[in-house]
Amino acid sequence: MFRNELFRTATFRLTLAVVAAMIGSAALQFFFGYSQASVFEARRSDMLLLREASILQRETPQELEQQVRDRATDDLRILLNVTTLFDSQQHYIVGDLHNWPADLVADGHVHVITPEATGGGSSTVLRMVAVKVPGERYLVLGRSRHMRTELRLMMRHSMLVSIVPTVLFALMTGIVLSHRALSRVKDMHEAIDRIMEGDLHERLPAGKQNDDLQRLAGSVNRMLDRLEQLLDEIRDVGNDIAHDLRTPLARVRARLDRALNADHSAEALRNVISHTIDDLDQSFAIITALLRIGEIENGRRRAGFGTVDLESLVADIIDLYEPIAETKGIALSHVTGDDPPIHVLGDRDLLIEVLANLVDNAIKFTPEGGRVEIRTRMNDGCAMLQIADTGIGIPAGERRAVTGRFYRSDKSRHIPGSGLGLSLVSAILALHHARLDILQSRVHDSLPGATMNIVFPPSGVVQPGN
Amino acid sequence: MAENDFNWPVSAQHCIKEGIMTMPSEINPSQPAPLAPQPVAATRILLIEDDSKIAQEVVEELESRGFHVQHEESGAAGLSMGLNAHFDVMVVDRMLPELDGLTLIETLRERKVHVPVLVLSALSAVDDRVSGLKAGGDDYLTKPFAMEELAARLEALLRRPDNSRQTMLRAGPLEMDLIERTVTRAGVPIDLLPREFRLLEYLMRRPNQVLTRNMLLEDVWNYRFIPQTNLVDVHIGKLRRKIDESGKPALIQSIRGAGFMLRVP
Repeated sequence: MFRNELFRTATFRLTLAVVAAMIGSAALQFFFGYSQASVFEARRSDMLLLREASILQRETPQELEQQVRDRATDDLRILLNVTTLFDSQQHYIVGDLHNWPADLVADGHVHVITPEATGGGSSTVLRMVAVKVPGERYLVLGRSRHMRTELRLMMRHSMLVSIVPTVLFALMTGIVLSHRALSRVKDMHEAIDRIMEGDLHERLPAGKQNDDLQRLAGSVNRMLDRLEQLLDEIRDVGNDIAHDLRTPLARVRARLDRALNADHSAEALRNVISHTIDDLDQSFAIITALLRIGEIENGRRRAGFGTVDLESLVADIIDLYEPIAETKGIALSHVTGDDPPIHVLGDRDLLIEVLANLVDNAIKFTPEGGRVEIRTRMNDGCAMLQIADTGIGIPAGERRAVTGRFYRSDKSRHIPGSGLGLSLVSAILALHHARLDILQSRVHDSLPGATMNIVFPPSGVVQPGN
Repeated sequence: MAENDFNWPVSAQHCIKEGIMTMPSEINPSQPAPLAPQPVAATRILLIEDDSKIAQEVVEELESRGFHVQHEESGAAGLSMGLNAHFDVMVVDRMLPELDGLTLIETLRERKVHVPVLVLSALSAVDDRVSGLKAGGDDYLTKPFAMEELAARLEALLRRPDNSRQTMLRAGPLEMDLIERTVTRAGVPIDLLPREFRLLEYLMRRPNQVLTRNMLLEDVWNYRFIPQTNLVDVHIGKLRRKIDESGKPALIQSIRGAGFMLRVP
């Protein structure tokens, strides 16, 4: 199993590829080396044949005959394999070739003669030259290609001698390296198995080498950090949902329990039922708000996006909320600078929902006689939309937390709401790539006030004329 | 999306039952369920819904209000019923076996069947609503919904508002001049803000008809979300103070568990 895995590692496969390349290059080297050498050898044979021929041509017929006879037996046969004398009718006189080769022309040039053409006088291919010598005779000299064959044998042998140990060495190295990689991967597998079993604090082993595998392990570890954080958040949200749903349900149960044992007059019962329904409605509101946030966060729907005029958006929201502000004695107004009308890219219905939630909160948390201002302006290419109130404000330490689900400042526990309004706002603004900052409106007053500052990035601002 | 209620109005007395909220009749014995004038006996509604529990609730509720309801469970059966018989209004679920709701409506419209259709859906994203209306639906309601909401919207579809070119609207003692943008009560001018004028115009075009808070928000203000506070009630309250005469019954009446109605003799 383990050995099998070893041969399937990336490192081992790489080794096999390198070995194949080595064998291939050695074969190419052999081929080119051999062909160069054989060309060189052929040229050298030709020179040798022609030079010998020109020397022997100058001999007297008797001396030549003697020379030929000697050559058929002496050591020089290694250099010149065929030395034969023929008469003018190409009949054999003396030498080691008994028949005139069919393809040979007595023109003083070298010819390649096949074994068949010699009529069985030679077993190999020969390079031959035939020249006229004094006495109307022909001298035939020939040299076999045995040198080339030897050369090939020698080269093949040396190649094998060198390639086999090299390949074996490469394979060994590959196996050792693969084994190391495999043991690291095995460690990682074990770590992942532990994570899958539920140990979310486990991380992939961090080695010293800064290689690919290590960088990958680093990325996976960072991903695990993020997942663990998200999981913690979800767990917290789960607890919060359970808690927030439990509270009204517990009240419902207690009230029904009391009603069972107490006054059964129609009026009293109706009162109990009406309160019960209010509590159930609150639970229901929490669930629908959660579903809505999930829908916005998961949907990533930008199909409803278009150009939204912030001025008209603010005018609409003021139109909607003015009566309620008036009832509470709060002045609701739109403050705008000298900027030309600001247009942003967004979903108008969702942005109205953002503004409604923020204005709703501002009115809710501002005491009578206060002010709520909606401000729009451009700042450094960004479009800014502020909702500032003169209410109780949000302490600096809680500003990050309020956009989380269900967070409610202790000061606001008595004010009804699902506690999800700002989470919804955050989800919608995230869809718009806009940022929400929470600031303090005033420094010196008894109530600090809260300013919700929405910043649309320059990419979300529609320039006039576009 | 309109039904995604962040803070269900206190007066909305509902309980949740299998995705549908119904008003238990014993809570409110003094007020009979049918709030609008009884529909004509011949009013026929085609309900195409595959969830049998929801369908049963809807059928019972609507029949108790005097409608005649025909129920089909599949898209194909609903389509053939819609093509071959006459109905005054249809309620079509988006997700149906065999043939989905939007295709069904498109087919009906292609075959020149122009009966008003209310689309029911579990999807509540804005674009789903838009696609529902694009396919030829006339109104869109997301599950879970209150029975009062469904009934009020069906009523609205059955009694298409009077959108004729007339320039004067009359409802009881109220008279509205749409050109001069003036309102009088028994001849006495009433000073209204533009938003109050818009709201009153909407009410006057639909006299004696239950209008839910969601319908008002959607149609008068064009908003598809439910605000955390009882905004609509505040607007109605302001309008009431301007148009009502002391000592006389209120023209705009609150309908417990449903919404509002401009009651005229």
